[in-house]
Amino acid sequence: MSLEIVGLTKAFGATRAVDGVSLSVDRGEFFTLLGPSGCGKTTLLRLVAGIYPVNTGAVRLNGRDITHTPMHRRNLAMVFQNYALFPHLNAFDNVAFGLRSRRITRSEINKRVKDALALVKLEAFADRFPAQLSGGQQQRVALARALVVRPDLLLFDEPLSNLDARLRDEMRLEIRELQRRIGITTVLVTHDIAEAFTMSDRMAVMQAGKVVQIGRADEIYRAPANRFVANFVGPTNELALSCVETVGSRRRALAAGDLSVWLPDQDSGSGRDHVRLVLRPEALRVATGETGTENQYRAEVEDVVYLGGMSECRVRVGALRLSALLPSAAAARLRPGEQVSVGWNANDGVIIGGE
Amino acid sequence: MTGLSSVANNRAIAPWLFSGPLLLVMGFGFIWPLLQALANSFHPNTPQGIDFTQWTLHNYSRLVDPFYGEILVRTLRISFLVTAITAVLAYPVALFIVRLTPRAQSLFILAYISPWLVNTVVKALGWTLLLRTNGVVNTVLRQFDLITVPLKLMINEIGVVIALVPGHFMFVLLPLWAALSGLDPALSWAAGTLGARPSAVFWRVLLPLTLPAFIAGLVINFIMNMTAFAIPMFLGGTRTMVASMLAYQINLISLDWPLGGSLALALLVCTLALVWAGQRAALLVVTGGRSPP
Repeated sequence: MSLEIVGLTKAFGATRAVDGVSLSVDRGEFFTLLGPSGCGKTTLLRLVAGIYPVNTGAVRLNGRDITHTPMHRRNLAMVFQNYALFPHLNAFDNVAFGLRSRRITRSEINKRVKDALALVKLEAFADRFPAQLSGGQQQRVALARALVVRPDLLLFDEPLSNLDARLRDEMRLEIRELQRRIGITTVLVTHDIAEAFTMSDRMAVMQAGKVVQIGRADEIYRAPANRFVANFVGPTNELALSCVETVGSRRRALAAGDLSVWLPDQDSGSGRDHVRLVLRPEALRVATGETGTENQYRAEVEDVVYLGGMSECRVRVGALRLSALLPSAAAARLRPGEQVSVGWNANDGVIIGGE
Repeated sequence: MTGLSSVANNRAIAPWLFSGPLLLVMGFGFIWPLLQALANSFHPNTPQGIDFTQWTLHNYSRLVDPFYGEILVRTLRISFLVTAITAVLAYPVALFIVRLTPRAQSLFILAYISPWLVNTVVKALGWTLLLRTNGVVNTVLRQFDLITVPLKLMINEIGVVIALVPGHFMFVLLPLWAALSGLDPALSWAAGTLGARPSAVFWRVLLPLTLPAFIAGLVINFIMNMTAFAIPMFLGGTRTMVASMLAYQINLISLDWPLGGSLALALLVCTLALVWAGQRAALLVVTGGRSPP
């Protein structure tokens, strides 16, 4: 266990920005704090970094308690959203900054800074000042500056949100690859689901200062712990369930009042009131003939929206509206007003608790 | 086509329209009198007035007189001392204020500006009540048996320095506070997480980044000290004469405008040279000779 957070709480005035958060990050793991703005993820990261004092709880790094250690003695490094490069220092001196705070000889500093700049492919830019570097290059300098001190923990605060879309995709993979190669324990904060999914080993989804779910990307996408997580990590179709009954080894219920649906075998939440069935758009199939799925209903096509490789097809089953994601080739044959079948296999749905 | 060219003409005229009034005022109220003083300084003064038919350097050779030299050196000494004390005090105060809530910040800034809101003559008289032999300071010190003989706190350079430091403090504090408030807090956090102790964060990040504002403030402060009149007059007295008091005597009592002109020019050159040298030196010390774009 590399990073351990136990019951961490931080309040600003009356609001608890971080409210009793506990989690642990393994050595070498890439861990993401995911959530909408204002959910407390950045505050949590700053508590770990030692920027804010902690109210209650503990932070442990490689077994040592750093809850009240001043930030300059935590041996971690942080990459900030706006990079926070020192504008009065060139790239070389920016990277050397952390080394000059430690007792390291001049020749050793020279060597390590050069290696770090080479690692982010910026050897040729050592003399440039931050204002003379592009956003992507500044990002790399910030990364080199963090890595060169060989921290026990690397923290990223929305590091890619200031880059344009293409560069962001490149940097995602580059940072991920670099992190794996060095094997450094990393915590990233983001509100971007794609960023969290492509980069992290595991993630914690946060809501109103609390961690609501921890898991791998596929676990969180396929089995969201609640309605908030389900909607946050992707588009959903939600069907309110009633009259759950057991038929042999399977269970059945009424969805949206009058639709008899087979339920998935997993039973999380089914014991509670206000149970909902969550269907991802890509779990739905739409066909002019049979869909070949366990649940199948007659429906009318309302609209088809071309999204590139995939198309979104909105259909209506009685009063219920469903959104399906289909390959564009299949969706091209569908016309608004057309009578079709829509369906899904029972185990592609997820049952979650209500509010 | 005519429409386009008239737009281009307007573009060229617009900056002059905006800056014109001030340029006129500066031209008539400052540049012209300064040139006049420069011209006067090269002519002899006679009982009948300035003799513009004759040219002379006599007014400048008179300045070398030890009496004038002593006044100039004293003015520089006082001004430098006040600026130095202000330089030491300004960062701690500015750093303290910047960390307060916005409301508390404006209150503190107001408190530091307030000396400047008081008429300088009234302020100087106020200081005499505090600093004179039987003034507040000496009375309190004697009450607590900390002194037996009253301290001589005015009618000397000490009195001038004591009164000028708070009087001109805001000229350094304001630009410094503005510069520190404008700094991204993430810069300090980045330095801190990289292992820099709070003192190192100051010397390696905060100071270099706010230095231009700091030096600009010190320059204004120094100039204000060089030209201060009421406070040296009341707290220094005629035995501690400074350049502005001398200029007053020469120009308005003796009505010797040629000598006044040479004095004005000597002071201007002296101040500009010191300001330039100070700025160069300070920048060189902190950036180590390299300057960012």
